[in-house]
Amino acid sequence: MRLVGMSDLQARSAYQPTIQHQGNRWIAYIGHHGGTDDVPAPVNPLTGKAESNGTSIVDVTDPTNPKFLRHIPGLPGKYEDGGAQMVRVCEGKTLPKGDRAAVYMLRTFGSQAHEIWNVADPTNPLLLTRIDGLQDTHKSWWECDTGIAFLVSGAPGWRTRRMTQVYDLSDPAHPVKIRDFGLPGQEPGATGAVPTEVHGPISTGPKGNRVYFGYGTNKGGVMQIVDREKLLNGPKEPTPDNLRAPEISRMLMSSWNGAHTTFPMLQMPIAEFAKDKDGSKRDIVMIVDEAILNECLEARQMVWFADVSIENRPMMISNYTVSEASGAFCQRGGRFGAHSSNESMASVFYEKMAFISFFNAGVRALDVRDPYHPKEVGYFIPAITAATDKRCVKVAGKDRCRVAIQTNNVETDDRGYIYIVDRANTGLHILELTGEARQAAGLK
Amino acid sequence: MLNRRTVVQASLAAGLVAGLAGVAEFAKWRRDNTGWHAISWPFPRDGWPTGKAWRGEGIEVYIRPKLGFCSNCDTGVVTDEEVDRVTDVDLLDEHFVPVHEGSRIHITDLVGRARLYRLKAKAGISRLAEGIAVAYKCDLVVAVVVGDLADEPTRRSAHAFLETNTVQVWLNQQLEGR
Repeated sequence: MRLVGMSDLQARSAYQPTIQHQGNRWIAYIGHHGGTDDVPAPVNPLTGKAESNGTSIVDVTDPTNPKFLRHIPGLPGKYEDGGAQMVRVCEGKTLPKGDRAAVYMLRTFGSQAHEIWNVADPTNPLLLTRIDGLQDTHKSWWECDTGIAFLVSGAPGWRTRRMTQVYDLSDPAHPVKIRDFGLPGQEPGATGAVPTEVHGPISTGPKGNRVYFGYGTNKGGVMQIVDREKLLNGPKEPTPDNLRAPEISRMLMSSWNGAHTTFPMLQMPIAEFAKDKDGSKRDIVMIVDEAILNECLEARQMVWFADVSIENRPMMISNYTVSEASGAFCQRGGRFGAHSSNESMASVFYEKMAFISFFNAGVRALDVRDPYHPKEVGYFIPAITAATDKRCVKVAGKDRCRVAIQTNNVETDDRGYIYIVDRANTGLHILELTGEARQAAGLK
Repeated sequence: MLNRRTVVQASLAAGLVAGLAGVAEFAKWRRDNTGWHAISWPFPRDGWPTGKAWRGEGIEVYIRPKLGFCSNCDTGVVTDEEVDRVTDVDLLDEHFVPVHEGSRIHITDLVGRARLYRLKAKAGISRLAEGIAVAYKCDLVVAVVVGDLADEPTRRSAHAFLETNTVQVWLNQQLEGR
């Protein structure tokens, strides 16, 4: 993989990037964690003011020369307690009741709320709506063709930090709540064990009629397959029976691994099975764990591939991890392990290449055309800069700190560029594939 | 800033001096350290490190740290929902039912909440268990006390045992000097 361009993102800790083709421009929207102990609110050179980390808006039309357009401050607070980590974007012209001239950005506001902004002019975003009174808001999914949104939140009374609130955001200025959803046992009034909290869903929309929910980060993962139609139109009161009704199946993972991202790759032709009467195409869900602890103080968090062709009998078929020995990553400082994958389903890479952020091991390009045998075909680890923050572990009661790259998230655009962002304040790096990886993706 | 080991060692030393100063405290010290013995961890391996279990005075206690598991590193454990979620009561009975609202608790310098639960009957006898979750920054220490816990003094006795050197020395080893 080759570096094309970069932005320092004002040395803000970055979480989720979303790349939007907006008119004749390409705009990157990047969510941030809160500030650090050393710098709680970095100065924005565009305004000259200290601003709590929120959302950065960067023009990446020319990927060799990204232009920082605007920073929208988020909730004051440090690390996970502030910022605006998550961001999704839909154009008004694709939403059923949207303003055709508008471009809507859905973001979290700290952990307290979801906000919708009109970013048609990305240098002058306008706040439209806030859904608040929540806690632990996180990685939502928004269908741009229907407006249905699966908002990850902590709602009052629920027994889990995070569950799903289904909303109709087809008219983003007027959100309509459809229902609350979670695993039975998480609902208000339940007793007994509390199942693992949700991390994020991915919907295949009305055509695929499935929502794949990932529960857990680094422990007790659950991948749940849900009938979207039944979820939206079934009985809505959060009783155990009503929560169970739309579920098709769930796959329990090891207690040592979570399900941060559940990325569906459906009807994939498998070359090896081409002559078989049944099963020559397979429905695959790529499950990405999230490493949480620094310097390998937990079980390895990695990538798993589940064959869900027989929906009520999902089966793990393969896995991928970066070799620790290839870079002595447990000694490099910070987290080592998987965190997330790209979530764009644009044809340029979909079902051919997947990109996995791996914290101090950078980003990894996987050839997934045969998901039974995923193969790494490229990688990139950004260089540390003066802005890169330290990561510490306790040794004999004292902090032992190392400065380390922490590639947190990755996203792709329809042109074939790959965008990675750093949790340790190193910024945004725009990459492209070269050599075998480029060939595998079918790019010229 | 002092780490937890320093704080606990200082408080244990102070507690010992104070204990030796009075008969009542001496009796309490004896009660803390006699009649309890370690037993095998009774649960199958899961995603968290295996903890430590003790039996004494007709009750059993199970304790282990869950590093990095606290929902809020600033406030610690402040809701009953979090006690339901993070303690190991579900390892005894997945269908545990709270008896009443929980209450604030501190175990040495660690603060959190405790809640009493009713478990499914065993041999026709109803059982109670108390779930305890206390936090140190982003780390949790969870404990379960099970047995005849209907009376408050029995629960207090278990809490006192959790504060003894027997438990705290082991716990500090697990917390790796945090």
